[in-house]
Amino acid sequence: MSGGVLVVALPAEAPGSAALREAVGVARTLASGRPIEGIALGSAARAQAESLARLGVGRVHLAEEPSWDAAPGGAWAVAIAAAWDRSGAETVVLPGSTTGRELAGRLAARASASAATGVTQVGRSADGLEVRRPVFGGRATETRRLAGPRQVVALRAHAFPPAEEAPVPLAAEAIGPVEVPAAVAAPRRLSVVAAAASTGPGLGDAAIVVSGGRGVRTPENFALVEELAAALGAAVGASRAVTDAGWRPSTFQVGQTGRAVSPQLYIAIGISGAIQHIVGMISSRVIVAINSDATAPIFKVADYGIVGDLFQIVPALTAEVRRVRGLG
Amino acid sequence: MEIVVCVKPVPEAETRLRVAGSGRTVDTEGVKFVLAGYDESAVEQALLLKESVPGARVRAISYGPPPRTEEVLRACLALGCDAATWVEGPTDGSGDPVAAARAVAATIRGAPADLVLCGKQAGDDEEGLFASALGELLGAPDFGLVVDLRYDPATGRITFQRPTESGQERWESPLPCVVGLQQAWNDPRTAKLPNILRSRKAPIAKAVGPPEGDAPVGTPVRFELPPPRTGAKMIEYRTPAEAAEKLVQLLREEAKVFP
Repeated sequence: MSGGVLVVALPAEAPGSAALREAVGVARTLASGRPIEGIALGSAARAQAESLARLGVGRVHLAEEPSWDAAPGGAWAVAIAAAWDRSGAETVVLPGSTTGRELAGRLAARASASAATGVTQVGRSADGLEVRRPVFGGRATETRRLAGPRQVVALRAHAFPPAEEAPVPLAAEAIGPVEVPAAVAAPRRLSVVAAAASTGPGLGDAAIVVSGGRGVRTPENFALVEELAAALGAAVGASRAVTDAGWRPSTFQVGQTGRAVSPQLYIAIGISGAIQHIVGMISSRVIVAINSDATAPIFKVADYGIVGDLFQIVPALTAEVRRVRGLG
Repeated sequence: MEIVVCVKPVPEAETRLRVAGSGRTVDTEGVKFVLAGYDESAVEQALLLKESVPGARVRAISYGPPPRTEEVLRACLALGCDAATWVEGPTDGSGDPVAAARAVAATIRGAPADLVLCGKQAGDDEEGLFASALGELLGAPDFGLVVDLRYDPATGRITFQRPTESGQERWESPLPCVVGLQQAWNDPRTAKLPNILRSRKAPIAKAVGPPEGDAPVGTPVRFELPPPRTGAKMIEYRTPAEAAEKLVQLLREEAKVFP
């Protein structure tokens, strides 16, 4: 099935998740009419296969043993590579999750394939598969050509529209015994603590991020930032000054040594705009800065600026956002 | 315990990015190269293990072109690594992470390691492919996004945590293992001047990777920068309420990003 595509549903993925639907959408683009097959592992494999069939991917390779749920990525790679060989597909599409991304290198090395991760656009040309992806923390984009008869593509989350439903009958096929080398199978997952239910979206995939910096002055005042974020349905971020001072945990940090974010809207409150912070947020679509210092470098990268006392501006902004959104 | 730490030279964060004349890659003319951010954590973690495990040795390996690759290896020696190996890579910045892993794997096979540490991804290409490809090529397990790495000399095993979609995972692995580090226990140390001076004369072993054309790779076709930002539209106002009202209106009607 030259030109065919294999879509991977990983154990951590919820059946029918956005990440899986995005992967199927990309597979359709790449296959352009040639066959698409799927592979699903672990105790949820059957449910994932059924959701793949609803999206038009009927032929699914299954490894249903629950032991796959906690297997190391290296073992998954062996099973996926086996299904890849059997399918004869040219391209493997991995969902935009951390585990999907981590498998890409392993699969590429195993199958002598070329690979790219964090992909935001795909297309086939006469010269092969071309992918576009952000580099340098989103400060630039590159287009790479993936050579050779086999390629692995790991997507960037939320970069593609999810595939619409197009149900077909499920034709599941067990992968059968998979021989994982003892050394690769040896690691054991001791425990997994589900992420605490957060009150808002995570920093990495939020459409809006509201961040506070040194200008907020005290940990108690950080509530101003959080109230605005709540009114907007946004994730909360912070500059390094805030996390170093211990006002908020380091998981909130946006910047060179923290997280790089690229939301639709980024609001920087009391952040002067050191380059280490800028590199973590510059790829946001629209940037708003609120700062008392009109010469702060943050205004050079912002789209909209308000010079003033954040302790007056931010509460007024929160009230206005609530009023306009009808939140009372 | 033999520890290998794999590092990559990347343009320092403050670099103003420009497109190379070819249009395919970043322009590296006059750019200062430094240890990639997460690689600094990997070096720090390697040195912490060396300090706590009697007899442990740390060898730094880097794949890339001269002179930047040699410079980051000297930085590793100045920080306290015991030895350094340079694996020569392409000069035009078109290096492919899986090809890099093949070259480095060949070097490691020549002098096997118990633990291979690297950054979870580099700050330039952001691929995060290297560690997992290296694990496969060495026949060892690999894990990325690792924090809280500990070694138990009694069992010879490592334990660590990693945040994934499933939540906070805790793992135990025998060695050898390849680990892509998110964060070391400490903030990375800085080198002391006498060590920097000594590192300038320290020997760096040179290795040659497998011949090109062994396996297909990705090659850069185009490198693009977003249009420059022209500075903020500043909002004039008399009262905070007016500032808020004007901003919300702009976000709704002009920028169209209001929820």
